Amino acid sequence: MGPNGAGKTTFLRILTGLLLPDSGSVHVAGLDVAAEPMAVRRTIGFFPSGDRTFYQRISGLENLTFFARLNGVSRSDAIRRAERRLADVGLADAARQRVGLYSHGMQKRLSMARALLMDPPVLVMDEATDGLDPEGARRVQDLISGVAATGTAVVWTTQRLDEIRGFADAVTVLDQGRTTFQGTVEDMMLKSTARGYLLRLRAASGGELDGAALEQAAAAIGGHGTLARAGIDREHYRLELNHDAVLGEALSALAGAGAVVLDCAQRRSELEESFLRLTTART
Amino acid sequence: MSRRRSASFAEVSKLGAFLRRDVLVRLSYRTAILSDWFSLFAQAFVFSFVSKLVDPSRLPAAQGDRTTYIAYVAVGIAVSGFMAVGLARLVQAVRQEQFMGTLESVMVTPTMASTILLGSVIYDMIYVPIRTVIFLVIVSIWFNVSFAASGYLPALILLAAFIPFVWGIGSIASASVLTFRRGTGVIGFATFALTFTSGAYFPLSLFPGWVETLASLNPIAVAITGMREQLIGGGGWGDAAGVLLKLAPMSAISLLLGLYAFRLAMRRERRLGTLGLY
Repeated sequence: MGPNGAGKTTFLRILTGLLLPDSGSVHVAGLDVAAEPMAVRRTIGFFPSGDRTFYQRISGLENLTFFARLNGVSRSDAIRRAERRLADVGLADAARQRVGLYSHGMQKRLSMARALLMDPPVLVMDEATDGLDPEGARRVQDLISGVAATGTAVVWTTQRLDEIRGFADAVTVLDQGRTTFQGTVEDMMLKSTARGYLLRLRAASGGELDGAALEQAAAAIGGHGTLARAGIDREHYRLELNHDAVLGEALSALAGAGAVVLDCAQRRSELEESFLRLTTART
Repeated sequence: MSRRRSASFAEVSKLGAFLRRDVLVRLSYRTAILSDWFSLFAQAFVFSFVSKLVDPSRLPAAQGDRTTYIAYVAVGIAVSGFMAVGLARLVQAVRQEQFMGTLESVMVTPTMASTILLGSVIYDMIYVPIRTVIFLVIVSIWFNVSFAASGYLPALILLAAFIPFVWGIGSIASASVLTFRRGTGVIGFATFALTFTSGAYFPLSLFPGWVETLASLNPIAVAITGMREQLIGGGGWGDAAGVLLKLAPMSAISLLLGLYAFRLAMRRERRLGTLGLY
């Protein structure tokens, strides 16, 4: 994971041998990328991030057959593999249609079929769900989860926080070419600290918090963080908790000051908070 | 050793995949194929009129045989066209893959750079010689030009020996386009200079002495003169061998330089990570 310009695609280009590293070494399945590029390419199935990575004037089946043959299999084997993978990604009906007529989602699925063509032990996926609708993205993820369950290692780059929960076994966060986090999704969520909440408050009397009551509430929260109007209406407030503050204690302090908490929602997910903390992105 | 041989066989067998891909792609552009043939015949048609103005006695004799200008120029058009089309397509092949975004997809397969380069042009390396032969046959029928039957096979062999030269120059051109992106203008000028001094359209003797001497070393001039000797004068195997002795080293050097330049260019692109940029 990482924001734009973090170095995700650069890293994948080094993995696949498209780019030589300035220094250091990279190994894929025990193979040195610089010393054994051919062996590494036989090990990897690559899903590039770009859209137009196929020959638009020929069919999906012919495209896949071509790429399979570049992996050294016979034409009959190449056709068999291409047909199988086209069926796997739900493109069997469009197999003989020109790729230029495929939709964006269909081209993504075709790219997936190409990556899986040679049953590689390592799959390298560069923003595979980019530009797909939620259903299409889920379909791609399900397919990859199935492949990973068979023992295939999957390297998956993304900017989408929502897709890593329940999907990734391990996360590496890159920022400006450096690793800022490595661990599980749960470990990453624990990195969340500066937490923001949206509260809906009323005075104990039933009305909105007036000037004095608001001052009292703000003073009560003082040791835990800051409280300010959210600007939506006169009921919503933004609560920013301090690094070591506990939400329950902050809410109790508000209740003690005569405010009734009607609603409390996290402004950002733990993953989003962690991601922002681990990277320089602040959007 | 046997593993190396089977790896080489595997690489060679990939050329079939490139060939099939390009046949299918080219067939999808039928109008382009028709316009290519139309322009070739339009050129021959124009020269048939020019031929009426040119006194055959001013043309150099081939094996002592005088000929018409249309016969003279047809061989020149065929060979220089072979060079121009072959060269242009060699350069376009890599450039188009860059534009289409498919170059990187091909580069991540376990395929050698030299196989990718050869595969990118295998269609043209087969199609362009066939186009050249068909052109000569049709011109000979259409304009009643009688080529010497005994020269067909030696001329074909000379044309085959010329192919690595075109491939080598094309590879150098591809390498320069990969490196400089917009180097096609320089390539166009080089092609013009080589064609202009090849004797395709007029005898080299019309040049000043020193240009004529230099032009006689031009591999295209060597190929054209050799093919004229065969097709117009029926030169025979002895003459063909003499031309081959000149042409083969030029082709070998061109090919080796071309492959080396292409590998250097690819290595540079990999180091900079700019292979997919155009």
